[in-house]
Amino acid sequence: MKKCKVSSVIKYIILLILAFVYLVPVIMMLLGSVKDPAQALQFDLSWPKAFHFENYQYVIENGNILRGYLNSATITFSATALTIIFGAFAGIIISRRSDKTGTALYYYFIFGLTMTLQTASTFALLKVLNLYGSRFAVISIYIGMRMPFTIMSFSSFIKGIPREIDEAAMIDGCKPFGMITQVLMPILKPITVANIVITAISCWNDFMIPLFYLGSGKKWTVTLAVYNFFGMFSRNWNYVFAVLTLTVLPIVIMFLFLQKYIVSGMTAGAIKG
Amino acid sequence: MHSKSDKKRYPIYFVIPAFIFYSIFIILPFGISFIMSFTDWNIERMYIPIFRGFDNYIAIFRNSVFIRSIFNTLLFAVATTILKTLFGLLLALALVKVSRLNNILRTIYYIPCALSPMIIGVIFTSILANDGLLNNVLSTLGFSAVAVNWLASYGTAMSSVILIEGWMWSGFNMFIFIAGIQAISKDYYESADIEGAPAWAQFKSITMPLLIPSFTIIITLNITGSLKVFDLIYVLTKGGPGFDTQVLSTFVYKAFGLGLLGQSSAASIVLSALVVCISFVLNRYLTKREVEL
Repeated sequence: MKKCKVSSVIKYIILLILAFVYLVPVIMMLLGSVKDPAQALQFDLSWPKAFHFENYQYVIENGNILRGYLNSATITFSATALTIIFGAFAGIIISRRSDKTGTALYYYFIFGLTMTLQTASTFALLKVLNLYGSRFAVISIYIGMRMPFTIMSFSSFIKGIPREIDEAAMIDGCKPFGMITQVLMPILKPITVANIVITAISCWNDFMIPLFYLGSGKKWTVTLAVYNFFGMFSRNWNYVFAVLTLTVLPIVIMFLFLQKYIVSGMTAGAIKG
Repeated sequence: MHSKSDKKRYPIYFVIPAFIFYSIFIILPFGISFIMSFTDWNIERMYIPIFRGFDNYIAIFRNSVFIRSIFNTLLFAVATTILKTLFGLLLALALVKVSRLNNILRTIYYIPCALSPMIIGVIFTSILANDGLLNNVLSTLGFSAVAVNWLASYGTAMSSVILIEGWMWSGFNMFIFIAGIQAISKDYYESADIEGAPAWAQFKSITMPLLIPSFTIIITLNITGSLKVFDLIYVLTKGGPGFDTQVLSTFVYKAFGLGLLGQSSAASIVLSALVVCISFVLNRYLTKREVEL
């Protein structure tokens, strides 16, 4: 019994040191964001000599961060909402139809799980469709990219729900649309929440699609704005740390509040898949 | 049996929006890439490409940077997958019991994967730079001899990127493993305890075999995800020093940036083929092991 206690103390000491190592980048970022330029450039965990909160003011005024937030929010919200609606309908129908069309469509969508972004031809396609540089293009690519996973998770989840529920709803006079929105979707809430979380996080964090296809600065998402800011101010690390804090903090706070959903969402999504 | 009422109850037109977005923005570009990879498609003559057969493929396979990118992509995928899986499993075993401290630790280990790889890349440039945090710590500890510019040579740059990716995603794997371990019935362990089996033997003959489904998910997800790596490499090393840490995605982007659309397409077709083959073989192999149990 005693031996067991000693080893568990050692285990937690190791785990706590490890947790500290995990937090070091965050601590350095937070402290660095209120230092003066010279002290920030020392890249250490020292306490700021004086608190320069005006770093944040400067960054907000010069970094296009607020506009980036607005763009990211617009794109993330639209892409997530449409992905869930389209994906849920498609997943439910594909899974419930026991005919050849259903199976064929299922494999057609599943194929996309292994798909990689076709950088050049997507660019050409957007040019031809006259969509290059628009938010709509980015949203559409996200929807396309998320379809396979969303459809797969919805269709595997609905297999666990008896068909009798659908039949009862139809007998009660539901149209197919009403049956899906009013009867099935409430039952599918767990997988819906999971998909919302996964889709929103992956769109918000994405850097590749806006970098390739969003052209002008006005439409930049927050990741793109930060990257650009980093390129321009790479010698003023106090500003870079401030801008990073502004982007990381909301996600971390949101994460702490929604932790339960995010963790179960991300892992359940993976396991169901 | 149901098929007639099925058609009425589950109308196919509900699939149309999903079908349109997926077909236009994912499948169509793939088709275009495939066709255009056999032409001299470039940015100046975007609409009048000329058929050139396998020229692009021959050109990229003769390009030492491309061969290097394939090697780096595979190295990155295999190394990070092993790292993330082992580390994730260790964390899961250490933190599987529910307690307040364990929950806090789990959250700390999990947070990196909710952040953008781009942000992580920028933070780590300040840690790995010549006068960065890591070298400062090393010289305070008296190891200034080992302090180098971590992103300036191939070995250290590649290892850094691999370790950072491992740091980001181990917590994610930890949660999948925890879910897997919690799903194992307690009865197995109880009867093993009665028979006096030591903890290691219990782990080897109960936990590990029953975790194979979790391994399947984790390995497939991690391998296919890391074959597509772009952000982290692009932000941290830009494929450098020189072209040393170039991976397939950054090679594709570079060729695209140079206006060599045909070559870029050929390279992304190679990447797609790689992902398809590897995930197919992996799935075959891993699910077979599950069935045997």
